[in-house]
Amino acid sequence: MSIALQTLWHERTRYASGVLAVTFSAVLIALQCGLLLGLFKITSIPIDNTSADVWIGSNKVESVDLGRPIPASYLSRVAGREGITTVESYVAAFASFAKPAGGTEMCFLLGSSLDAGASGAAKVLSPEQLDLLTMPDAIIVDESDVKRLGVTDEKKAKINGKEVLVVGTVKGLRSLAAPWVFCSVHTARHLLGFMLPPDHITYLLAKCDAPARARELASELKAEYPDDMAVYTAEQFSTGSRVYWLFRTKAGIAIGYAALLGLLVGAVITAQTLYSATAANAKEFAILLALGIPRWRISAMVLTQSFWVGVIGIALAYPVCLGLKYGARQVGADVDLRWEVLLGTAVVTVGMALAAGFFALRSVRQIEPMNLLR
Amino acid sequence: MMPWAASNASPVLQGVDLMRTYGDGAARRNALQKVSVDLYPGQLVLLMGPSGSGKSTLLAVLSGLLEPDSGQVLAAEDDGRLRDVWQMTGREREAYRRRHTGFVFQGYNLFPALTARQQLELVLKWGENASGGEARRRADEVLDKLGLSANKTKKPAQLSGGEKQRVAIGRALVKNPTLVFADEPTSALDWENGQKVIELLRDAAHQRGAAVLCVSHDARLLPFVDVFYHLDDGRLERRALPGGAA
Repeated sequence: MSIALQTLWHERTRYASGVLAVTFSAVLIALQCGLLLGLFKITSIPIDNTSADVWIGSNKVESVDLGRPIPASYLSRVAGREGITTVESYVAAFASFAKPAGGTEMCFLLGSSLDAGASGAAKVLSPEQLDLLTMPDAIIVDESDVKRLGVTDEKKAKINGKEVLVVGTVKGLRSLAAPWVFCSVHTARHLLGFMLPPDHITYLLAKCDAPARARELASELKAEYPDDMAVYTAEQFSTGSRVYWLFRTKAGIAIGYAALLGLLVGAVITAQTLYSATAANAKEFAILLALGIPRWRISAMVLTQSFWVGVIGIALAYPVCLGLKYGARQVGADVDLRWEVLLGTAVVTVGMALAAGFFALRSVRQIEPMNLLR
Repeated sequence: MMPWAASNASPVLQGVDLMRTYGDGAARRNALQKVSVDLYPGQLVLLMGPSGSGKSTLLAVLSGLLEPDSGQVLAAEDDGRLRDVWQMTGREREAYRRRHTGFVFQGYNLFPALTARQQLELVLKWGENASGGEARRRADEVLDKLGLSANKTKKPAQLSGGEKQRVAIGRALVKNPTLVFADEPTSALDWENGQKVIELLRDAAHQRGAAVLCVSHDARLLPFVDVFYHLDDGRLERRALPGGAA
């Protein structure tokens, strides 16, 4: 074991506050990022819960809820291409939901094909529900939105002034600004009326014979039709929708500040811990300097210690994060701790610990072997 | 008695007309006043004097830790030429100390986390880039000679004061220095342990050929040393040893 690690272990009570400060920072950063990502996952639910490989929408559309109508004739641009197995229409647009007991709520209509194997139908819809949705003006909502939409036992409501029947509910498709309303393309068209021009749709959804072909196909189509339509793979559009809302709401800035605060607190405590720990060994280090050991050796040891303080802090933080993620799930909040979040947290907090180590080097610079003789 | 000194007549270190003052105005104090001293290989030199007489200052100036106001500290280089330690660059002086000097202080200043063996290995690994195997072999060799064979894997908290000081001596000797500086090495120990320590320092001079300068208040060390200096008010005087040995 290196002297740095051996000293850390021997004086673990002294270093504990530094390690815990790193843990605190890491948990704060990971949870903030995870909560935000979990929250903004909601914005890409229409994409993530369908099985389409490629999404084609209006030019420069940045998020799935911002699609403008496109001519249904664009279908001919896509269908029949090599590697494309199916292309279908998809309607996605905001509408006004009138609650049976009075009052209105914005909702987001998602009208898809209901055929067996249709790529636009939400994956959570059962075959029976798909069947029920073939009825004119039949809709399905998420059970978490039933109360918000004021749906009663009669299951009736109005969208854009037209009567609809709630034929069922699904689970796990929570909404942010406007509840999702699942229906057929036909129903969506009817409910939207003049807001969707004749022979227009919002998206074309394509399936490929191999998912890997999606990226290639999206590039081809983008190159061919650069001015009047946008083409994304499902993954690109999903990420794009989340990122758009992340920046649009300035939530990224909020999280940045919170994370920065966590980092600062962590950095100050870690720096102070390392500083005092190094100062406590000043006499031992002074002997080494008297013996002609270069000062950089001692500095390198302090930085190695700060690195390990960071690594141990992170190692403690991960289980805490996972525990808190589990706890959040129990109260219905999704904390998305994907590997990018965990890795990013590790890089940032170990970097912080190293920066704290550099700060603690002040104490190394103050060590003078002459002090041993006074 | 002094096999090394007998065959090596030229000093390894010479202090020439060393001056050092502290403070300004009325508080000005001469710690060293035109002090000259020669240190020979194989000699254990004892430097005594009252508190504040400048003993530690002289040790610091000679060992390259404290710059004198004037005077020279001439050290024999590997090729035998004399070079003023205080004309060297900081890096050269550091390299000089690394190659030639060992230190023992009143406080043992051992790393609490390291075993006795590791305290010595650290000096070799960090000072000479010695490999793990070589550092261990040389550390064990020195610890065995110091009678610490059974304590190699013990940490400072498990050692007595005398054992700790012996480990500190081992740390000073493990790189086989030509000069060993000891500042009050026995003052924290009982006489039995203090005696062992001064014997080890004498062995470092007589058997290893090092020039050892020991600063102490303790007159009981006199029978063990080869040369005795007395420093008072910044003035150095060589005195005869009891029994007329020097």
